[in-house]
Amino acid sequence: MNAAPDLAAAEAVEAAAPELLRVEGLSVSLPGGVALVDGVSLTIHRGERVALVGESGSGKSVTAQAVLRLNDRLRIDGRVMLDGRDILSLSEREMAGVRGGRIGLAFQDAMVCLDPIMTVGDQIEESLRIRGVGRAEARRRAIAILTELGVHDAADRLGSYVHEFSGGMRQRVVLAMALVAQPDLLIADEPTTALDVRVQRQVLDLLDQFAANHALSVLLITHDMGIVASFADRVVVMYSGRIVEDASVFDLFERPLHPYTQGLLAAIPRVDRSQDELAAVPGSPVPPALRPSGCAFHPRCAKATEVCRTEVPPLETMGGRRVACHHPATDGVHAV
Amino acid sequence: MPSRYRSYLRFLGRRLAVTAMTLFGLMTLVFLMIKVIPGDEARIIAGPEASPAQVEAVRVKLGLDAPLVVQYVRFAGRVAQGDLGTSISTLQPVVRDLAEVLPSTLELVVATMVFSLLMATAAALVAASRRGDMVDSSSRVVAVIAGGLPTFWLALVLQYLFAAKWRIFPISGQQSFQFIADPITGSPLLDALLRGNFSAFVNAVDYIVLPATALGVFFAAQLFRTLRASLISILQSEFIVAVRSKGASFARILLRHALPNAMGPTITLAGIQLGIMVGSAVLVEGIFGRQGLGAYLQNAVAQKDTFAVLGTVLVIGAFVCLINLVVDLLQLALDPRVRAAQFEGAAR
Repeated sequence: MNAAPDLAAAEAVEAAAPELLRVEGLSVSLPGGVALVDGVSLTIHRGERVALVGESGSGKSVTAQAVLRLNDRLRIDGRVMLDGRDILSLSEREMAGVRGGRIGLAFQDAMVCLDPIMTVGDQIEESLRIRGVGRAEARRRAIAILTELGVHDAADRLGSYVHEFSGGMRQRVVLAMALVAQPDLLIADEPTTALDVRVQRQVLDLLDQFAANHALSVLLITHDMGIVASFADRVVVMYSGRIVEDASVFDLFERPLHPYTQGLLAAIPRVDRSQDELAAVPGSPVPPALRPSGCAFHPRCAKATEVCRTEVPPLETMGGRRVACHHPATDGVHAV
Repeated sequence: MPSRYRSYLRFLGRRLAVTAMTLFGLMTLVFLMIKVIPGDEARIIAGPEASPAQVEAVRVKLGLDAPLVVQYVRFAGRVAQGDLGTSISTLQPVVRDLAEVLPSTLELVVATMVFSLLMATAAALVAASRRGDMVDSSSRVVAVIAGGLPTFWLALVLQYLFAAKWRIFPISGQQSFQFIADPITGSPLLDALLRGNFSAFVNAVDYIVLPATALGVFFAAQLFRTLRASLISILQSEFIVAVRSKGASFARILLRHALPNAMGPTITLAGIQLGIMVGSAVLVEGIFGRQGLGAYLQNAVAQKDTFAVLGTVLVIGAFVCLINLVVDLLQLALDPRVRAAQFEGAAR
């Protein structure tokens, strides 16, 4: 495959495209004081697709919901700049305009994130009706977006309820609900995890097509490295509430710098290489309350030294990518 | 969708069949109660001064000498024709008596339920949306206390304060003298509405406020607690976060999503309460001098008026069956999942 020119083109786009969302030093903590997310910073450019990757409990979903201030019980610090404006300081009313209008959020499990007793049509149209769109126009746009997302008899399905839909159809409804008001950014929280592999592929292809047609920026939250490789431009890896690595998909898969990323990639089953045993990152992820001192990953890391146990490694930029590790696999990177 | 209406009709048909069987059982029970209650029916009907020969004449005339099974078949035949026997104190058919007193009681019960539901829903919405703060905690304390007040005591206190002492509401009765007219339904509120007489309606409302409050406080407290708990659990579900992520205001989340999803258990409870309320209404009617089922039943029991008592039991039973049917239909209308379960179950 001829990957190099693609990469060059992608980097050119990235450099030219303006910033859409910039998260700076975002920390999210429980009322008791435990930080679920600790100083996360990341940027999404217009039209860019960023994957946010990590094991369960790494703070991916918390980060996404904090961006939209969806959980009032959590304490949020830092800044979330949308087109240069800090949306964390907006009033609740202004924030409601951002939710769905500028940033759409699609949830993981469509069965539990749709109202069970409201028709699917009413739920999709609600995103528009809230914004003062008339009933007929809202209906027309609901049909249009469902059709674009591959629901062929959209007009007939609007009067149905969630429990009457298959998993794949439900997920399309969830995406339609998040996208119908034409947001600039879609945050998709594990949008295909609840689906079987074939339907997963279909839904991802539809999303891919839609994003391309509408120049949509996407923050895709997932733990599936296969999805990351086929969908994202850039990958941000989180571990225990912190970002450990941030690189283009090409760089990350070609040369992961953080031992944790290396472990994640080694754990992907490959059909083109014979493996007697599937590699796994040793140990298990730590909950934020039990986060160890220093680098949170050090108890599971083969390269860990004394400094890893005592000092939190800063997220350092090197060669157009970022990594937070005292002993990154840097050989050759600086030369780029 | 015509198929959905057909499903509703099929459901209604099945439920009406069940209701008919329930009423048949109730009727049988009522018949056995007549026979089991101590005292000779012929003796009671003939009166205390009747001679043994007169009592025997009454027995033969009313067919009370026939075997029990024959009597039962005749009794069932009469009930099927809407004949619940004759009251020995009013000397009128029990059915006609009930037609006179039942509307007043139904008026009180329905007005009380409307009042209780409105109060409970408003309070539950406020409490659930401010969960854990002062308003929520104090409303829960108030609900516990309100749920513990004896209805008859509350009725007397309300009557003393609001009618006797402060003269805000009338002390007794169901409408002022100048508004009394030939009854259409027998319910002052409904009759005033049917006649389009606004001042008569306001007058009837004036009379019903205190009895409805006295009767409703206990039920409203129960409804409040149930609805508050449902609302809180619904508000914590994931789809509420999803609605919020669409940009919906809190008021919209609460009224358009949380409330409809939380209403199910409250509607079921309200249905059960309506049956109990008829019983409690008897007490309140007595205190507020309303000419309803309560006064009639009290009088009937005091007079050992068997047919009046048993006719009333049968009618209240029918009322409870009807309420159950309405509750089931409401649940069907409210929740598509209940519809799916019922209608698909019927198809199989």
